[in-house]
Amino acid sequence: MRHIALWISVATPALLQAAPLEYNRDIRPILSENCFSCHGFDEKGRKAKLRMDVAEEAYADRDGVIALKPGDLNNSDAWKRITSEDADELMPPPKSHLKLTPSDKQKLKRWIEEGAKYDGHWSFLPPKRSPFEAVHAIDTLIRKRLTEEGLTAAPPADRATLIRRLSLDLTGLPPNSMEVSRFVNDPSPNAYEALVDRFFKSAHFGERMALEWLDAARYADTNGFSIDGGRHMWLWRDWVIQAFNDNKPYDRFLLEQIAGDLLPERTTADLIATGFQRNNMVTHEGGTIPEENLTNYNADRVKTLGEAVLGLTLGCAQCHDHKFDPITQKEYFQLFAFFNSLGDKGLDGNAGINPGPFIEAKTPLKTEELPALRARISSLRATLARPDAKILSDWENRQQTLLSKQGLDFEAHPAEILKVSTPNRGGGIEIDGSSVRLKQAIEMGAFDVSMLLPKVAKPITGLRITVHPVATLPGGGWGHGPEDKRPAKKKEAPAATPPKMKGSFMLTSLSATSGAIASDQINLHKLEPIARTSANSWEEKYPPSGCLDPRNDSGWSPALASEGPVRLTVTFSEPIDPVRTPFLTTQLVFGHGSKLTPEHIELAAITGTDDDSDLPAEIIRILRSPSEQRSPAQKAGLWNYCATHSEALARARTDLANLEERLASLTQDFPTMVMNVAEKPRETFILERGDYAKPTLKVAEGTPRALPPMPEGAPANRLGLAQWLIMKDNPLTARVAVNRFWKMFFGIGIVATPADFGAQGEWPTHPELLDWLASEFTESGWDVKHLLKRFVLSDTYRQSSVASKELLERDPQNRLLARGPRFRLPAELVRDAVLKTSGLLTEYIGGPSVNPYSPGDLWREVSHYGSSPATAQTFVQDHGEKLYRRSLYTYWKRTAAPPNMSAFDAPNREVCTVSRGNTTTPLQALVTLNDPQFVEAARALAQRTLHQPGSDSTRLRWAFAEAISRDPKPEELHILKGALARERAGYATKTDRAQKALSVGESVRDLSLSPLEHAAWMQVASLILNLSEAVTRN
Amino acid sequence: MNPIAERFLDLNRRRFLGGISSGIGSIALGSLGATEASIRPVPGGFKRFAPKAKRVLCLFQSGGLSHVDLFDDKPMLHEHAGKELPPSIKGTQRLTGMTSGQSAYPVVPPLKTGKRCGKHGTWISDLLPHIQTLADDICIVKSLHTEAINHDPGITYMNTGNQLPGYASMGAWVSYGLGTVNENLPAFIAMVSQGTGKNPGQPIFSRLWGSGFLPSSHQGVGLRPGKNPVLYLQNPPGVEPAQRRAALDDLAKLNTLRAEDLGDPETITRIKAYEMAYRMQTSVPDLADISGESTETLESYGPEVHKPGSYAANCLLARRLLERNVRFVQLFHRGWDQHIAITKQLPNQCRDIDQPTAALLKDLKQRGLLDDTLVVFTTEFGRTVFSQGKLGDAGMGRDHHGRSFTVWLAGGGIQGGIEYGATDDFCYNIVENPVHIRDLHATILHCMGIDHAQFTHRFRGLNVRLTGVEEAHVVKAILAT
Repeated sequence: MRHIALWISVATPALLQAAPLEYNRDIRPILSENCFSCHGFDEKGRKAKLRMDVAEEAYADRDGVIALKPGDLNNSDAWKRITSEDADELMPPPKSHLKLTPSDKQKLKRWIEEGAKYDGHWSFLPPKRSPFEAVHAIDTLIRKRLTEEGLTAAPPADRATLIRRLSLDLTGLPPNSMEVSRFVNDPSPNAYEALVDRFFKSAHFGERMALEWLDAARYADTNGFSIDGGRHMWLWRDWVIQAFNDNKPYDRFLLEQIAGDLLPERTTADLIATGFQRNNMVTHEGGTIPEENLTNYNADRVKTLGEAVLGLTLGCAQCHDHKFDPITQKEYFQLFAFFNSLGDKGLDGNAGINPGPFIEAKTPLKTEELPALRARISSLRATLARPDAKILSDWENRQQTLLSKQGLDFEAHPAEILKVSTPNRGGGIEIDGSSVRLKQAIEMGAFDVSMLLPKVAKPITGLRITVHPVATLPGGGWGHGPEDKRPAKKKEAPAATPPKMKGSFMLTSLSATSGAIASDQINLHKLEPIARTSANSWEEKYPPSGCLDPRNDSGWSPALASEGPVRLTVTFSEPIDPVRTPFLTTQLVFGHGSKLTPEHIELAAITGTDDDSDLPAEIIRILRSPSEQRSPAQKAGLWNYCATHSEALARARTDLANLEERLASLTQDFPTMVMNVAEKPRETFILERGDYAKPTLKVAEGTPRALPPMPEGAPANRLGLAQWLIMKDNPLTARVAVNRFWKMFFGIGIVATPADFGAQGEWPTHPELLDWLASEFTESGWDVKHLLKRFVLSDTYRQSSVASKELLERDPQNRLLARGPRFRLPAELVRDAVLKTSGLLTEYIGGPSVNPYSPGDLWREVSHYGSSPATAQTFVQDHGEKLYRRSLYTYWKRTAAPPNMSAFDAPNREVCTVSRGNTTTPLQALVTLNDPQFVEAARALAQRTLHQPGSDSTRLRWAFAEAISRDPKPEELHILKGALARERAGYATKTDRAQKALSVGESVRDLSLSPLEHAAWMQVASLILNLSEAVTRN
Repeated sequence: MNPIAERFLDLNRRRFLGGISSGIGSIALGSLGATEASIRPVPGGFKRFAPKAKRVLCLFQSGGLSHVDLFDDKPMLHEHAGKELPPSIKGTQRLTGMTSGQSAYPVVPPLKTGKRCGKHGTWISDLLPHIQTLADDICIVKSLHTEAINHDPGITYMNTGNQLPGYASMGAWVSYGLGTVNENLPAFIAMVSQGTGKNPGQPIFSRLWGSGFLPSSHQGVGLRPGKNPVLYLQNPPGVEPAQRRAALDDLAKLNTLRAEDLGDPETITRIKAYEMAYRMQTSVPDLADISGESTETLESYGPEVHKPGSYAANCLLARRLLERNVRFVQLFHRGWDQHIAITKQLPNQCRDIDQPTAALLKDLKQRGLLDDTLVVFTTEFGRTVFSQGKLGDAGMGRDHHGRSFTVWLAGGGIQGGIEYGATDDFCYNIVENPVHIRDLHATILHCMGIDHAQFTHRFRGLNVRLTGVEEAHVVKAILAT
């Protein structure tokens, strides 16, 4: 990808003349691009039986014709062909669309004249360790090249820039102003190294390092193909974070991920690690052919192994021998065989249950937060248990008001049902006036009921759904479902005597759209907001409000003890005018499964105030009794209900639920997908053109012959494969790893194609350095922190990134490192940085994925919601501290990835990615200006700023430094002051507008701050957070 | 802009992108009028010739539109109605897991009668009365085929040229190759609507309009109904446009100061990106505001045009986008997967799209936009001539059929009023002029003035093409002369 730019920077004609030709750098790329696809490694694709990739073959006399005669241009047939005027003779042939440039020809000419010397492909040869002193090797080798190019290194960056650079690189978070000033003013000569060590010890180190590996491993929270249902893989993510924090040696890191299940004395953590090769996408699309899917999954595993670990585009050899690298199709399938022993299924993983094989296990995460966590939980429980007179009386007053209005002017008007639509059924639906009968017992389903509203003079305030008992249903109940509707815990033994059956149902979601024209379906973009739900009967776990959460595990279900019709009533936030919008469509989802579907449904529009309540009968009884007559038990019951339902305590309940979930995620077992060996492992065949349906020759596990053989005694299974990957003689593994780490710290790899160290990959800018790093890495015992410390302690890393115009022209991508590396932050870090700066960041590491703010339900637009038991079909936002977790914990749905991160080049994680793009687009500006996450962060940063003492200038300086880690210059401060004055003037006296501005986000605002002042500062904070520098690491 | 000047601009742009970025202030026009931070070489460049079309409109019918019912009636289907599909026709090709176990494969004739339409008398179902009137403007290709027999691979194939994920979508390729003409709107816009025949339909995926291995600035930008037609477009509450303008001016000043200090061209690019974001805040709502459309126009698109997010509403938006020179506009209409209850579902699906599609084509034609807009009406595969489920049952439907299906094209570069390719008497196998998905892709690029074989992107050591590694052919016979 970066060929051309590199070429311009390093291969000026003058240089080319001076420097000796290097086959691998100068000639192989030309031959590879233009000749090898017909005259290379691929035997089937080979033309005229001529190979140009092997010296002996190219030099051979073939009936008097010699392709390459070393030193003899005139008798080299290849040269004749290259320069031929005859289209039939010309090489490469015109129809190939390949063309040699004059410079290519010049080089080939010189090469043949100088003896047409071949060399083994560099990355397949063992790294050569140059004898450089460890501490200075990077600088020595970088400067050697700079000197050759006539360039000099840049001076060191200032300390403020350095700490920001280091903090972002090692923890993924910017330093705050205090950390900056402490470091800037630290007189110790070891201040920098101490800083490095401090960041290495931070738990955020593991999060930062995990990010690139999650891309490479295509980690996501959904299955990816087709319905793209949810899965549970976060334990594997926890494992990766912990591995980096433990500084697990990289060889061990690979060994456990590739073959943890096959290790002697394997631990649960080793098993969790094997999730690496289960992160591939899977499908449960009905109709697909399992064998085809399994072939695709395994092909993805080989491809990922190649790109993430070996730096080889192994995938190219699935259909034929590799065109450019010495990998035969047979060898491809030998690698394929290592993974083909897995006991997975071709159609699996629906309903939020992991595709097999999976285990249930505790997180390998080490944290010391349990005591504090338990203390916070107890404290919150105590808060909720302790009656608060003010909250109780406020709540009771509101309930009394509602009760006093209950049934006021209430009327229910039968609706005229026009049509019922459902995606997967042909018949069995009978419509009769305001009634629908679902005649067939179905497992689950969504029904869109289109109706004409009654022509009444009053506005329609809501909708009532009545479900009638039907004598022919089990137990004369309301539905087809079993009496015990709780999902059976699989470890529980079945009850000795099956419970008496009373057919029931569970309405898992209700939504509605009104309109001027009839609509078969609800309009996802125009759902009527619902203010309140009530019913005349419900089970405690399934109250009427349950149907407002669209997920399949919550809903409304009547109490089994009830008799007669049961009904649910929803009150819309805004009444509907039946004259202007006479049509209403409601979607009723019975998504729970277990045949919890009703038969006889009746629909009515209501006017006036609902005559039912969302309060349980007992609570109503208490509320209706004078407070002085209430028994202690009644009082306790009332408080308990208030504590679990009142708006005033919603935040405390959210916090408690989040903390309890956190505790559970650290202490309980959760499912995660792993590798295993099937009881009867599949046999592996070479597949003709890679087609699952065309097996040819059977093959056994094996590694490519072009690379050193497996170590002695290594078993012919994944364990052996892993041992081969991490053996000292493997020339690729260490090089590929150090190159990938290098890229994280220097912006671009020493090999710019980190997934391709093959013939088509790019020649390293600093081959000696790459080799030195690789051998330093292995000799240190694959010590990642040791390697990274070498990076960050180098002068090269610590250079200033300021670039002159000349240097930018000369080396726009900074391949030569005559200046410090500068690049835009990865998507996750853009968001994380504002979370930290705003003080909103939830610091703890690991755990299940979270759903922070999203612009609407983007999942449902593309998903199979209502027609599938799969999870992750509809987006439900989290609350409380889950809104502010680091971005690598954001739930990753592959078919609809979080848009605020996609805008910043985050890959969709469908396939292995080792090199993200880095674009600059207007969509990014829209995110950082308008995404509630960023707007709320500006509000919170403004609040923190206003909590600082001092003048406007002092505060502006503080906010600026807090966000971008340096002091503003006078002219910058001047602009910021102007902005503040303007915003103040803009909001002056406009309290409403200020309140609106401050309304974004769910975090609590400090109400003691003047809204006008807060809103003005918020805009200045937004300005600072949108500085180019805020998303850049200099 | 005249075509020659535009082409010149394109060539210069290519050269620029293939070369090296100059210093501060240089900006290349990507899909979003922005540039990649890294330089983007195009290996070998690609030859452009005078394009017949400047824009593409792709009307993607997601789920597998039934060619048997809608475009490809044959007398034999009626003669053979209810009888077993002859084994000689059915052959041994693979079926999906949904019908491979059926004991019988009875032939089901089209659901509805149809008409011979246009001067050449092509048959179009009465379920599509408005599309019937387009017969003289469109080229119906009855011989599309694909290896995919299921949705995920099928829809990914049609939209990205590969059955597996990881590749760039058609629109992203076109944006990558040709860039944008309108500096206030993205080059590639995608819109999704839900079908009323089957709701929800088969799932769709952002990869269908994604950029794959191409820079992400070429991904399709979603256009949605509501106050944020483009995600995050609207200023936050309590922030007025003038206030935002002033803040952006300050932002530009601060960024410029710093960029000069550091020698940072990327910051200058970012300033321009903010400016385009600001322009989009006006240009997008203006685009989405249909209040200026005449009653006549609105009525022509049918009553659903007033329903935000519907296929009809999206059709009208498509015209407004094309008018504004958006390079690639794609509609995804879900719900064409009639495995069951086809007699109930298919008429609804047809009603969703029939009138709006016809109105859009006529609207484009009337405004002179059809001449240089390529219209592609397509789907991922067809449906089986035999029934899925019991014949005559209300739940009966048709399964997926990749061996042959129908698409149509119109507008810039395409010869209207013809049929191309033919299936056998049972519309099962192709007997004349097969057109593979990659041939369709090659033809689309050809109409845009791009030779598909030379239009490549270097990825993982390969020069990757939209048309893939197999040989692809431009379907020359359907091109306008």
